[in-house]
Amino acid sequence: MRQPWLRILGELPPRRRACLALVSFLGPLALWSIVSYVPFIWHPMIRVADAGDAAWFSTGELVEREAFADENARIRGEGGHLATGARANPVFLPPPHAVLRAMVTGFTAPPARPEEPWLHQALWHSITVIFWGFAVSSLIGVPLGILCGALPSVARLTEPFVEFFRYLPAPAFGALAVAVLGIHDAPKVAIIFVGTFFQEVLVIANSTRRIDPALLEAAQTLGASRRALLYRVIVPGIITDVFNDMRVLLGWAWTYLIVAELIGVSSGITFFINQQAKYRAYDKVFASIILIGLIGLATDVALAWLGRRLFPWLPSARARRRLWLFGTRRSAAPPEAPELKATVSA
Amino acid sequence: MSAGPDTSLAPPLAARSYRDQSPAVAERFARLKERPVILEVRELSKHFRDSTGADVLALDRINLSVHRRELVCVIGPSGCGKSTLARLIAGLDAPSSGDMLLDGKAIDGPGPDRGMVFQGYTLFPWLTVRRNIMFGPEVSRRLSSSLAEQEAQQWIDLVGLSRFADSYPHQLSGGMKQRVAIARALANRPRILIMDEPFGALDALTRAQMQAYLLQIWRNVDVTILFITHDLDEAVYLADRVLVLDACPGRVRELIEVPVPRPRTREQLGSPEAAATRQHLEELIHPPIQVPTEKLPLGRMTVVGDDVE
Repeated sequence: MRQPWLRILGELPPRRRACLALVSFLGPLALWSIVSYVPFIWHPMIRVADAGDAAWFSTGELVEREAFADENARIRGEGGHLATGARANPVFLPPPHAVLRAMVTGFTAPPARPEEPWLHQALWHSITVIFWGFAVSSLIGVPLGILCGALPSVARLTEPFVEFFRYLPAPAFGALAVAVLGIHDAPKVAIIFVGTFFQEVLVIANSTRRIDPALLEAAQTLGASRRALLYRVIVPGIITDVFNDMRVLLGWAWTYLIVAELIGVSSGITFFINQQAKYRAYDKVFASIILIGLIGLATDVALAWLGRRLFPWLPSARARRRLWLFGTRRSAAPPEAPELKATVSA
Repeated sequence: MSAGPDTSLAPPLAARSYRDQSPAVAERFARLKERPVILEVRELSKHFRDSTGADVLALDRINLSVHRRELVCVIGPSGCGKSTLARLIAGLDAPSSGDMLLDGKAIDGPGPDRGMVFQGYTLFPWLTVRRNIMFGPEVSRRLSSSLAEQEAQQWIDLVGLSRFADSYPHQLSGGMKQRVAIARALANRPRILIMDEPFGALDALTRAQMQAYLLQIWRNVDVTILFITHDLDEAVYLADRVLVLDACPGRVRELIEVPVPRPRTREQLGSPEAAATRQHLEELIHPPIQVPTEKLPLGRMTVVGDDVE
């Protein structure tokens, strides 16, 4: 049976899934390519090839088309040598191939000034800051969130304040963090902590509350103590949801990273991007931004893969729902295994 | 306390009543009643506050004694508090008044001496069949892991799931899940197994299989069963005695001794004693009601001649 392309809910055939995922990337790339390579779409500038008798042009300069036309009109009136040039896009919109080249040379070509970091050094610096900020906030936030979800008294003791604190924007603590923790990486880690910790507690507490109460009752009738309920029912029962919550929160951590890296001594990928923008090397700016996206995507795919390995009890469809890009259809277990003949060894 | 019939009066006659018991059945009931009482429920009442704040009496002074290795079914119209009774005995809810004694000791909260099988399976999805069954012994009896595993294997074999010991619950059919749930409850060696409409979600064929299956398990395992159901045939097929509850408030209507001899087969459901019991249950639970026969004020909405009578 042919499935309609716009079916409501449910699963898509695997080839169609892959195809649509590819299009979701190729579409924006195609748009970018068209704007970059087809001259009559946009190209509001002229790159001067021969300055001719123009008063203020220099070869290779980008000039607005109207200004270029006005100048040439003036030269023509004076019977001089006309300037020539090709239509071009502004410097802040590099074409795809230039960005791709910048991505490669970013790793192979030394930085403009020796004291500046290489692209990979900048990225690695950012990753370590994120790692520590997120690790510290998770080490405290996950257990606290689970306790809040499981124990109403802990929730009441914690959540009102957490609820208040999460509305305080993390960057607002920048100056304070520098004053307390110095100008290097510690305040940046602190900003990421502040940005993710309070969300984490609330999100994980809510995930914990969604556990099926029937499982808790079943465990109680099997003789589970409160301690066993917590460690042997609640924690394993919500661990998959917590894992997925943390994948979402890791995205938040990257958002706070850019602010955090501006605090104190600017560092990491943010410093790199700002430096390149100063040099008007927008191809490198684009390359860095895209690299952040690729790192985030790769992390997410890796975590989804890890989740399937860690939680083999998940029906494959549920694990795949989050793994939206590279999910492959694994041979699912038969949903309804045939009923065994009732035999009791007596 | 027993509201059952006086068995000494059973007359040998053809016009069957559910009170007529063959000598073998009568003798069996006499022996059953000499067994020690496992569960005793005295004047048990439960009030609820419903969503509008009104006080609802769910159970009204229930009395019941269950003897060792007896299989008692609780039946009644929906809303009669059957499940409430099960939850009270399991210790999941607290009664408003009255006493519940298990082996003479008052019931206070849930415990491993009362196993429970729910309608909604409630297997732990993150544990394999084997680990699900080991859960009870591990958390309550502090069996060493290896001993619990040995015992679990016996229970897995007993419910015929050896091939699925390392499967996860989502890989099992409904009937298989419920067998795991029974094995998991029994692995704790409970004094009484409370089953709250355990086969209600299964299709008719699987349900019949599971019923036959439960009887086999019950014969082979030292366990007393309190079985909640709304299926009359299920009650007649499974039960030694059937506790019939009235609805709103849940009161004991009658405690019926099922005169069908054991061991039972499905074919016996057609026997006169089973039919008489079933009919009596039917009358208790669904009293003959006047079906309104007035005509609905409907105009004809089909083509003339296209009649379905």
